[in-house]
Amino acid sequence: MRNSLNPIILAAACIAAFGMAVPAAAQSGGIPRTAAGKPNLTGLWQAFGTADWDIEDHSAEAGPFYQLGAVGAIPPGQSIVEGGDIPYLPAALEQKKKDYANRWKDDPEVKCYMPGVPRATYQPFPFQIIQSQKDILFAYEFATTNRLINMGKPEEAAVDTWMGTSNGHWDGDTLVVDVIGFNGKPWLDRAGDYTSDSLHVVERYTMLDANTINYEATIEDSTMYSRPWKISLPLYRRREKNARLLEFKCVEFSEQLLYGDLVKKTPDSK
Amino acid sequence: MRTKLWIAAAGVGLLLSAAPAWAHHAFAAEFDVNRPLVLKGTVTKMDWINPHAWIHLAVKNADGTTTEWMIEAGAPNGLLRRGFNKHSLPPGTEIVVEGWQAKDQSNRANGSNITYPDGRKLFIGSPGTGAPEPKDEKQDK
Amino acid sequence: MRKQIFLLSSALALLALASVPAAAQSTSSEEGKTDKNWSAPETPWGDPDLQGTWTSDDTWGVPFERPKQYGTRRFLTEDEIQQREKRVEQSQEFIDKGGPAHSPAVAELEAKEKGETPPPAQGRYGRGVDAAPVPGHWGEFARRASPLTSQVMDPEDGHIPPITPEAAKLLAEKQEMRRKQDSYVDWSLYDRCITRGIAGSIIPVIYGNGLEIVQAPGYVSIRYEMVHDVRIIPLGDKLEHAGSGYRSYMGDAIGHWEGNTLVVDTTNFLGKTAIGVNGDFGPPTSEALHTTERFTRTGTNTIDYKMTVDDPFTYTAPWSYEFPITHEAGYQLFEYACHEGNMAMRNMLSTARMEEAKKAAAAAKQ
Repeated sequence: MRNSLNPIILAAACIAAFGMAVPAAAQSGGIPRTAAGKPNLTGLWQAFGTADWDIEDHSAEAGPFYQLGAVGAIPPGQSIVEGGDIPYLPAALEQKKKDYANRWKDDPEVKCYMPGVPRATYQPFPFQIIQSQKDILFAYEFATTNRLINMGKPEEAAVDTWMGTSNGHWDGDTLVVDVIGFNGKPWLDRAGDYTSDSLHVVERYTMLDANTINYEATIEDSTMYSRPWKISLPLYRRREKNARLLEFKCVEFSEQLLYGDLVKKTPDSK
Repeated sequence: MRTKLWIAAAGVGLLLSAAPAWAHHAFAAEFDVNRPLVLKGTVTKMDWINPHAWIHLAVKNADGTTTEWMIEAGAPNGLLRRGFNKHSLPPGTEIVVEGWQAKDQSNRANGSNITYPDGRKLFIGSPGTGAPEPKDEKQDK
Repeated sequence: MRKQIFLLSSALALLALASVPAAAQSTSSEEGKTDKNWSAPETPWGDPDLQGTWTSDDTWGVPFERPKQYGTRRFLTEDEIQQREKRVEQSQEFIDKGGPAHSPAVAELEAKEKGETPPPAQGRYGRGVDAAPVPGHWGEFARRASPLTSQVMDPEDGHIPPITPEAAKLLAEKQEMRRKQDSYVDWSLYDRCITRGIAGSIIPVIYGNGLEIVQAPGYVSIRYEMVHDVRIIPLGDKLEHAGSGYRSYMGDAIGHWEGNTLVVDTTNFLGKTAIGVNGDFGPPTSEALHTTERFTRTGTNTIDYKMTVDDPFTYTAPWSYEFPITHEAGYQLFEYACHEGNMAMRNMLSTARMEEAKKAAAAAKQ
């Protein structure tokens, strides 16, 4: 982008316009960099599109509650899966179809359970990256989910978890995050694309410019898929003035669903 | 006398009469003070989850049948910090559980005391060889 | 005029004392600090470096409010510290050996089998199963004897100022809910796996006292193990809080540096959490709550932490509590996916309904 402005003035203008702290280190190719020369991913990011509804191609569709009309309907979307379809093994595809049929009851997202990786990346909520000179924090707005990317010596997973154990390193200007130790409970989307505890995800975050990250994730699980497969989508920096991570603690929105049958009945209640 | 020792050790120096974390919810809401029990069985699975770990126990009954019990234990993260992990209680391990049965008389109990058949308690101290090393010391300043 | 100057200079002197973590003011124990040649580390971008994992384990056992016998004394005497050291050693032995050979359940069972009625186990935290609910040595304990007489340090008697009548009413309502067990709302926000709030996330309990600080240019972030809570604190002198129409349990935080001290100003609370153990002990705070926290690194392995609580709806005066948090080799945070594993909630609710049904059936027979 041609720009006659001095980079220092441009940086100052960015600070003034967006209230963001832009590191003093020189920007190259428009990408902010840390003092160590790595791309600086610190910021508030969000995916667009409807991958959380369904990571494969999907048409517009009525939602589960006609009372919500258009507001409760499912928007259309194009696949973020390279090649279009998830390469399910036959038995896994049968299970996916069962999960799809029961999705409003069984999708862990409905219960406000943590989304796992990569789903946390493309839920319709922003997330904050805090990139220190050592490790990197990802704080997702949905359910206050968060994980620390260990940038030191890779660690094994002591236990299986919802968000897995993340070990990261730089491959040139790409942050590569290897995630293992999943408990097999998250889904990849609302369309019944479940996971197993053999899941292995390798993420790649590459800044295309100061406000865009190209996100890729390779998903591997030989018990479910005939081969490793990949998703990719852009992530956009939230640039509103004073944009900040807000709080979406959704447990309270799921309690009636999870426990309502055990609540003491009063004469007024159904 | 034994109970006093347990509390004295566990409530080290605590002069405040606040509800502590262990009793953040009264266990008596779930388990029956009138139904103490001792179970001997074989571990089929341990769920290393929060807020309470759960141990699945196959208990052989007198008539030779087996009943699956679920034992509610403490939070596991302190054990993980001492170096224990998901491999530290393998399926097939024989254990003895002392506790109280669920009020609804289902096959659920709390693990007040959990030992091997010889009386050694599970997860004493830190694990010996074989456990993964704790996270590398990062502080260098 | 002279009185005003005197007050002003006294206030300035106090301010000067408060902002410098002098040895007399610091709550960090001597053992936690390093030698006199230590200087506060900085991040590559020049901010004081608070990064790492920290735990309030060492303050486990220090009373939140000060026992009356200590008066206005903030620190224990050498003798008193030695007493506390004995208990710290006992807790290490407890971890290594696991305490008594058997649960009180065994004595009760044996008596039952003999046809005797034993008194149920008594403990500080209840009878029967509540006296010994889980293996105690799975917990986490202080590694060193804290020199503090209490966590509350201001007012100088170490006692929280009286609460307002409105807060007393809310506290009574909350205690009534805890007795009822009619619905999930009758349990604490912690038991519901929602949050412990910012104070409840650092005040030490019997396990899970860890937090992690990660910094970037313009930010400090804090993640707490229980209940996987996180705060993103933007740094700056002219930042504004979110509008008052947006509120949250963890509040909206803004930070700035005063020398080596991170000062965090937090508003926009939903209220409801208490400033006490697990965010539930004490009256619920209100939307008027305004907290000021100070984090000062005092050594390689210690940070002095202080929170000033200002909630005129709940407390009749502002007050503060403070203690050090320490870095321990090998201590790391693990995922605490609470809600996902909260089987106790369903179990407790179903038990409450079952007992009601039993009572109703028994009453119907009469």
